[in-house]
Amino acid sequence: MGRPEAAEVLPGTLDLLILRTLVPGPMHGYGIAQRLRQVSGDVLQVGESSLYPALQRLLLNGWVKAEWGASENNRRARYYTLTAAGRKQLAAERAEFARVISAIEKVLNMA
Amino acid sequence: MKLQVHTSLLRAWRRLVFRWRRAQRDRELAEEIEFHRALKQTENRRAGLAPEAAGELSRVQMGNVTMAAEECRDMWSFLRLERLLQDIRYAARVFRRAPGFTAIAVLSLAVGIGGNAAMFTLVNTLLVRPLPYRQPDRLIRITGIYPRAAVPFFQQRTRTMDVAAVSPGAEYNLTGQGEATRIFGSAASANLFRVLGAAVAAGRSFEPGEDSPGRDSVVILSNSLWRTKFGGDPSVIGRAIALNGVPRRIVGIMPPAFAYPSAQVQAWVPMRLDPSNFLEFWAGEFVPLVARLGDGRTLAEARLEIPPLIGEFRKTFPYPMARDWNRDSTAIPLQRDLTGDIRGKLIILLCSVGLVLLIACANVASLLLSRATTRRKEIALRVALGARRLRIVRQLLTESILLALAGGGLGLFAGMGALSIFKSLLPSSTPGLAQAAIDWPVAAAVAGLALATGLAFGIAPALSASQVDLAQAIRTGSQRSTAAFWTHLRGGLIGGEVALTVVLVVSAGLLIKSLYTLSDVRPGFLPDRILTVRISPNSSFCTQRPACIALYERLLEGARGVPGVAEAVVADTVPLDAEQPDLAVDVEGHLKSVDHPAPMLWSGAISPGYIRMMHIPLLAGRDLAEADGAKAAAVLLISASTAKHFWPGENPIGKHIKSAGEQQWRTVVGVVGDVRQYSLSKALPDWIQGAIYMPYTQAVREDGQIPAAMTLLAKARAIDEGVVREIRKLAQDQNPNVPIGQVQPLEEVVTGSIANFRATIRVFIAFAAAAMLLAAIGIYGLVSYWVTQRTYEIGLRAAIGATRSRIVSMILAQGLRVAAYGIGAGVLAALAATRFLASLLYGVGAADPLTFAAVTGLVLLIAASATAVPAWRASRIDPIKSLRVD
Repeated sequence: MGRPEAAEVLPGTLDLLILRTLVPGPMHGYGIAQRLRQVSGDVLQVGESSLYPALQRLLLNGWVKAEWGASENNRRARYYTLTAAGRKQLAAERAEFARVISAIEKVLNMA
Repeated sequence: MKLQVHTSLLRAWRRLVFRWRRAQRDRELAEEIEFHRALKQTENRRAGLAPEAAGELSRVQMGNVTMAAEECRDMWSFLRLERLLQDIRYAARVFRRAPGFTAIAVLSLAVGIGGNAAMFTLVNTLLVRPLPYRQPDRLIRITGIYPRAAVPFFQQRTRTMDVAAVSPGAEYNLTGQGEATRIFGSAASANLFRVLGAAVAAGRSFEPGEDSPGRDSVVILSNSLWRTKFGGDPSVIGRAIALNGVPRRIVGIMPPAFAYPSAQVQAWVPMRLDPSNFLEFWAGEFVPLVARLGDGRTLAEARLEIPPLIGEFRKTFPYPMARDWNRDSTAIPLQRDLTGDIRGKLIILLCSVGLVLLIACANVASLLLSRATTRRKEIALRVALGARRLRIVRQLLTESILLALAGGGLGLFAGMGALSIFKSLLPSSTPGLAQAAIDWPVAAAVAGLALATGLAFGIAPALSASQVDLAQAIRTGSQRSTAAFWTHLRGGLIGGEVALTVVLVVSAGLLIKSLYTLSDVRPGFLPDRILTVRISPNSSFCTQRPACIALYERLLEGARGVPGVAEAVVADTVPLDAEQPDLAVDVEGHLKSVDHPAPMLWSGAISPGYIRMMHIPLLAGRDLAEADGAKAAAVLLISASTAKHFWPGENPIGKHIKSAGEQQWRTVVGVVGDVRQYSLSKALPDWIQGAIYMPYTQAVREDGQIPAAMTLLAKARAIDEGVVREIRKLAQDQNPNVPIGQVQPLEEVVTGSIANFRATIRVFIAFAAAAMLLAAIGIYGLVSYWVTQRTYEIGLRAAIGATRSRIVSMILAQGLRVAAYGIGAGVLAALAATRFLASLLYGVGAADPLTFAAVTGLVLLIAASATAVPAWRASRIDPIKSLRVD
């Protein structure tokens, strides 16, 4: 599981983060986990035990699709691609997330 | 919303695809995760770890991969459905392990649900479903009965309705089509079918004006008559037949479902409206009026219009009519009129069957509660293995619903059986009764009922079972500290069950007592060894009195010659045979007035010897004799109550009575005992004030004719097949154009008159027996449960010196306390409920103390026996064992 100093991903936001990570192009599971860690400056650690179920959930909802391809080191890897429905979902979830965050901020910043 | 439906459909589709290629998906996921781990390992190597340590660390970093894979799989399966299937499989296993419990639960539910399915069907068909006519809610019945003259009068004067009339029906001789038969026909005004909005299946309906004299020689057949007598031949339209000797042309055939005014009617003839035929137009059979409300008219408007119309019509009678004649007449919906007589009976049956279902539910709930207790250990184990409370509740609810559905399924079959029994309790002439069958709406209602009962009796046990104290339950397998609430609930359930049982048993008891009183009634005659057969020539045949008299003289002579026959007589009615020979009369010394119109008497035409053969006691004067022939002085006998009614304290012999239509008085020569003519519970109908007997040769009907149809009564030395055959042959040989009825022993006629009542009672007894059995099971279950729960306490008591009898009486007292509360409540409920039975009772009050006492004793006895077994078991508890185990 995640190392003690690493922050857990906020519940419910993992799907959003994965979808956002896939915007530039197809990626495999390991790549997604690496990318999340790098971009967040090692703050967000995604445990594999939650990454794969999340990916399955996205597949089931039709927001990503998966294809087998060759990896950098020429091994077979499953690449996930954002679908049109996934983009729509990302936009919607982003807007919702922004709304909630700004609401939380308002509460925290009150006089 | 639309999008969501779309998404969930897609999801379901992807799940299906996944199921199909499950193995491949699993492999792919494993490969993907392994790929991920390999990259991690490489990463660790790069960080400078040894190959083995790098591999080890990567595995640790990956976390619980198995659980993740499991989670993925769950996501791809139809989780809810699969859990449900799993629950059902588990429930089935549980039931297989407890076959006794399952059988009792399913059977009691099947009885309850089956009875309800049958009653729903009847109530739905007869009371709820609209009549099969156009705009049935616009159809009304004008209460009261009216002479034919009222039909044109109402048709011309009303502004709110379209009025038609139809006679309840009478028997007709059908000739000209094979063997002469007796059929049941009804006279209808020409507009009847149009007013009802009922179309013929073939041919045409009556045309306007076909109820006027000279144009009325047409007939419309019912579907059943057309099929049985005419072989379903479509070419019968236009064919000529004869009804009562009158030729008629068949113009139409009705569809099978048409049953108005009753399902008995096999043919409709126009009701002739002929003002010149005084007797038929003003005094013959009085008929009911039906009508369709005019466009935009309401029932209330029709009700306002009717009383003044009746008042005006009363003044047009050519003879004085009572001032209060039809004063209370009003308009009621036709459907209410058709179901009026059976409505009460149906509702009583519906309530009783509902009670049985309630009892069954209470019982199953109580059984499940006790099972929930014995299953505590199993449930605790499941909780310990991680099952959540909701999950347990769901599992237990699945079990109870499954039980209910099994009961419901079986109940549907039971319902089909019950329906045919219930149908036999209602008069077969009830319109629509023959069509009543369990259909899809009823099946759906039954399924809903099963689900609802499953939830209702399952929710309490499920909740009680899910409140389990883990540690203690697993340690001991039982709970010493009883959850008081659930125990009380169970006691309440069983008490309620006992109360409902008392209501049903009291009802059955009152009915049984009625039947006992009824079969003990002295009908006023002795039906032993008397055979009856009905002979019904056309009344036109008897316009020549001598011909008719000669026919019966010949018949009597023949009957007396049959070997084995001791005596033979003829009579136009036989007690309890459903004929109603009423006659309006003038009584000497009783002047008729507007307030006291002509009294109606039950008038029998008999041949001499009838009174003696029937063992009707002669109380005063003399019996009729052969000498009282057609040309002798007119005489008659009266019944004892008739004498008391008209001449109290006077000697009736020598007084005079005559038919309202004749001039010559008839002399009373004898007084005979009262006879139950109308029914065993009622000697004569309310509107009839007495009974007379005239010699057949002098007899007269309302129309001045001699009665044509007569019953031959032959007293045999012993009733055997030979005599029956001979009598039948003799009757048939008289005239091939005269229809002959069945040869039937008079005793059968008597018992047949209360067959309906007997059947009703049998159903009530069945209900009561089912209720008692269920209550016994319920009490037994409850007390057994107490004993199981209190094993430790009882052991302790035994250990400190309580004797066995002390323990038995302790348990008995507890069981009987619940029963006593139930009986108390039940007696109160029964006092309130049996009032509704009053119409079915005879010779016993609705609050008959003897019945109530007997039922209380019976139910207490049952409760005591049901308690005795577990009480005895409690007394056998070995204190050493029970104290050590618990």
